[in-house]
Amino acid sequence: MKPPLWRDIRVLHVAGQVAFVVLVVFVLREMYLNATFSLAERGRVLSYDFLDSRAGFGIKETFIPYTPNSSFLSAFQVAVVNALVVTGVGIVLATILGIFVGIMRLSPNWLLRKISQGYVEIIRNIPALVQIIFWYTAVILAIPRLENSISIFGFAYISNRGAAVPTLEGGEDFGTWGLFLLAAIVAAFLVRRWRTKVFDDTGQPHYRFLWSSGTLVGIAAVGYVVLGDPFTIETPEIGLRNLIGGISVSPEFAGVLVGLVIYTAAFIGEIVRGSILAVSKGQKEAAEAIGLRPSQQLRYVVLPQALRIALPSVTNQYLNFWKNTSLGFFIGYPEIINITRTMTNQAGHELEIFSLLILIYLSVSLALSLVMNILNKTVALRGTTR
Amino acid sequence: MSDEIRKRELRGLQEDVSRATLPDEGRVVESAPAKEPKTPGEWIRLNLFSGPFNSILTIVAAVFLVFLVFQAFGFVFLNSDWRVIQVRMKGYMVGSFPIDEVWRVWSSLYLVTALAGFSAGDSVRLPRGRSLVGGVIAAVVATVIVVYTTQTGLVRLLAAAIPALFLASNVVGRLVPPKTMRRIRTWGWVLIFPAIMIVIRGFDGVAPNEWEGLFFNLIAAAVGIFASFPIGIALAIGRRSELPAIRGFSVVVIEVFRGVPLVAWLIFSRFIVDLLLPPQLDLPDIIKAFVVMTMFSAAYIAEIVRGGIQGVHSGQYEAARALGLPTTRMMALIVLPQALRATIPALIGHFISLFKDTALFSAIAVTELLDAAMRLGLEFQGQDAQTLVFAALIFWTIAFSMSRWSQRLELRLGVGER
Amino acid sequence: MADDIGSTAASDVSPAGSAASNGHMIVAEDVKKWFGNFQALNGISTTVRKGEVVVIVGPSGSGKSTFIRTINRLERHDEGRIVVDGIELTDDIRNISQIRSEVGMVFQSFNLFPHLSVMQNITLGPRNVRHWNRKKAEEGAMQLLERVGIPEQAEKYPAALSGGQQQRVAIARALAMQPKIMLFDEPTSALDPEMIKEVLDVMKELAQSGMTMIVVTHEIGFAKEVADRVLFFDDGVLVEEATPETFFSNPQHDRTKLFLSQIL
Repeated sequence: MKPPLWRDIRVLHVAGQVAFVVLVVFVLREMYLNATFSLAERGRVLSYDFLDSRAGFGIKETFIPYTPNSSFLSAFQVAVVNALVVTGVGIVLATILGIFVGIMRLSPNWLLRKISQGYVEIIRNIPALVQIIFWYTAVILAIPRLENSISIFGFAYISNRGAAVPTLEGGEDFGTWGLFLLAAIVAAFLVRRWRTKVFDDTGQPHYRFLWSSGTLVGIAAVGYVVLGDPFTIETPEIGLRNLIGGISVSPEFAGVLVGLVIYTAAFIGEIVRGSILAVSKGQKEAAEAIGLRPSQQLRYVVLPQALRIALPSVTNQYLNFWKNTSLGFFIGYPEIINITRTMTNQAGHELEIFSLLILIYLSVSLALSLVMNILNKTVALRGTTR
Repeated sequence: MSDEIRKRELRGLQEDVSRATLPDEGRVVESAPAKEPKTPGEWIRLNLFSGPFNSILTIVAAVFLVFLVFQAFGFVFLNSDWRVIQVRMKGYMVGSFPIDEVWRVWSSLYLVTALAGFSAGDSVRLPRGRSLVGGVIAAVVATVIVVYTTQTGLVRLLAAAIPALFLASNVVGRLVPPKTMRRIRTWGWVLIFPAIMIVIRGFDGVAPNEWEGLFFNLIAAAVGIFASFPIGIALAIGRRSELPAIRGFSVVVIEVFRGVPLVAWLIFSRFIVDLLLPPQLDLPDIIKAFVVMTMFSAAYIAEIVRGGIQGVHSGQYEAARALGLPTTRMMALIVLPQALRATIPALIGHFISLFKDTALFSAIAVTELLDAAMRLGLEFQGQDAQTLVFAALIFWTIAFSMSRWSQRLELRLGVGER
Repeated sequence: MADDIGSTAASDVSPAGSAASNGHMIVAEDVKKWFGNFQALNGISTTVRKGEVVVIVGPSGSGKSTFIRTINRLERHDEGRIVVDGIELTDDIRNISQIRSEVGMVFQSFNLFPHLSVMQNITLGPRNVRHWNRKKAEEGAMQLLERVGIPEQAEKYPAALSGGQQQRVAIARALAMQPKIMLFDEPTSALDPEMIKEVLDVMKELAQSGMTMIVVTHEIGFAKEVADRVLFFDDGVLVEEATPETFFSNPQHDRTKLFLSQIL
């Protein structure tokens, strides 16, 4: 027996959705009409053509080629790359610092525990923006002028014109040495497999990491000696207006990086601590009961499980880091907000530019979470198969 | 735990009967410290010098700490001139809020204080031991700072009234019967924001473009919570809807607003709102910024509430259905009350991060706390470190005390245990 | 090790001390343990002979779990002496690790490693502590899995197994270290009723094979059938110690009588 239409739950569901969609479409249409109306009022149409025209403004710091004669699109690309570089370097540093902070927090040493706790409690509760501005204006710009830059053993320099670290300068045989390096990597890989086999066959401890890294460094060093200085280390020098040589970064880059790394590391530290604590006490006891040494308990039982617990939250922190690069805007680092704002000042087309901005933030976030999800799967693959 | 007890009962092994009051063995084992040190010397050996490696770490850390303390001491007491802050305290607190209308800010502050004291009611205990020492130190430092940074006797008196009011309303909260107390508490927090709006804006009040300093940051964060709450709940329910159209729409709104940083929303708020709303609706820029921030915050609240709804046991839905409640009433009477209760700590966390995010309003020329500090830094060249540090201290104090409060609330609500 | 036995015998003239070398696997003397102000163990003294099966019963919080956890140093005893297979448990980490590889333990909540397969769970200890090669460890593991009746589960992960199967894997994992003593801490308390039997059957078979066992349990049937001796703990004190027949039919102490009346 079929119920009447107005009481049929399936009909109601469909009708409800249709009504909702109609409503949404109506609102969107109103907005679209408003937008075209106000654009028309200012004599404009929605169009992305302006992206190909000459940008006409300079950008202080670029990692890909750019001149004021480049197009708006390439200016936007510069901005995206700038933000990506900070994110890439930053999440690596923040992760290292965060692991350090989290492990310190669990140390049996009372003083280390308290230092770590103090760090986390202070940093977490101050806005990231305040910290970035503090590092930029009160620390980096307050660092001595160029001529009396702070020198770190003559290798690296920090001044209010930026910071510079040494780079490798390849000589004639640099290519040949590259082959050595390649061979070293292959050898290290083979040694690793050999040690695994030894462990499987005899049960002797494998020390895979020590063996393979030793092989790598060893062969690379032999290559260096045999070829006779295939590369030199170029240290930066103090020039007239800038630091010359090495890899140098602007004070703005340094400000965003330092501020965000310190901020994010506090959160990652808490995640690391929480994840290790979240591995149940029973797991550690079971590992103890079968006689594993403390380092083995950590290596085989606690850390693999803690990693799985930590990954989703760490992914969140990485996404936050990516979005927080927008704070570079406030100290003049040419990231996405900064460049898009300049673009709107030059070209108008706010709606188009903003749509690009949304698109790029969302797609990088999506890409980042995809990568982390894959990582998560490889880590979680074992053990969760039900 | 209770499952286990039930299983034992099934098998007729009720060994707990006669000693229900004894602590459960397993739990004692969990919480027990490895070893109780007996003397200070033993404590130091155990916690700082338990091995050669540990001793080296302790010494290195101690040297580092001493260095930091010296630096901080030098910064605070030797190299800095804090008179800037003394002179410009009003700038930090309310910016150029008309001085004749400042009573509105004080009244709002007292309203919140009274409600907080009242709500703390039964849960506030006199601190003992270490927390008492910490409390006394914090109180002394706060008093010194307040006395130093306030200039007139009247302001000091008004400031001193805050702790007094807190204690007084706390006493009232304890005297009122618990049921009434809980009712007033709930409604108080629901109504506090509209009430403050009336105090600030009503009776020829002060328009939003004159809200500045810390006052702005707090109000903006409150807008971000209260105005976006209904939207957030709607989005959360929408995201769990069985109807694909509604679910899809909610997901898109939530992800777009969460995926783009707040600065971008604020900077482009003028263009977006202008372009998308009817042109005859001529809103001030600050309201446009509030509109986009409300949507931004609603997306986060939606995710928090969704978490809360997911946390409600499926048996609750089944029980509600079994009673014959229709969907809307099931949500309103059974699911949401449980879900929202569980989300209170997360909402406070969201409030804290929104409060920190309000510093971003300096991007659209709002003289909020950070902006006020930076302006001061420009005005008094070479003292930007002090002005920034003081702003940071204000942010920190509020965020830190709120996060502590939220932790205690979490324990009391037993959210983690469900 | 020879040193340890020698010093034990030399420094101690009590019967228990000399008993350490007379086929006694475990000797506990006046063992005391505090958690903060709560005294969990208040002077426990007992001995366990080689091949003996001892069942410990007692109410919650009576210290029975704590006691067997002190035997392989999951808990440090504060006072008294514990000698396991001639090795005294001290703060010396060498003694501790030696004892841990000779004493297997099975937990109430299984504590299998969820990120490792059943096979990896069992071979982890033998490969990394005993330094067996992979083949030997895996062959040993398969034999044990056959012994506990689930060889077909070797490549599965713990989450895919039922509670009873998980506990049998946990027993196999403990046996893989070839322990001389097995400790069971309420091994069936977290199991659904229909799975208890399969675990108890494995334990019975183990007992008949001559393993020295200490079992904390509420399974009276198991105690009556398998135990050589029943210990009754209450308030951190060893109240009564008897053969199962005497213990269940003719308990001496009032506290024992009260307890038995509640559980039977």
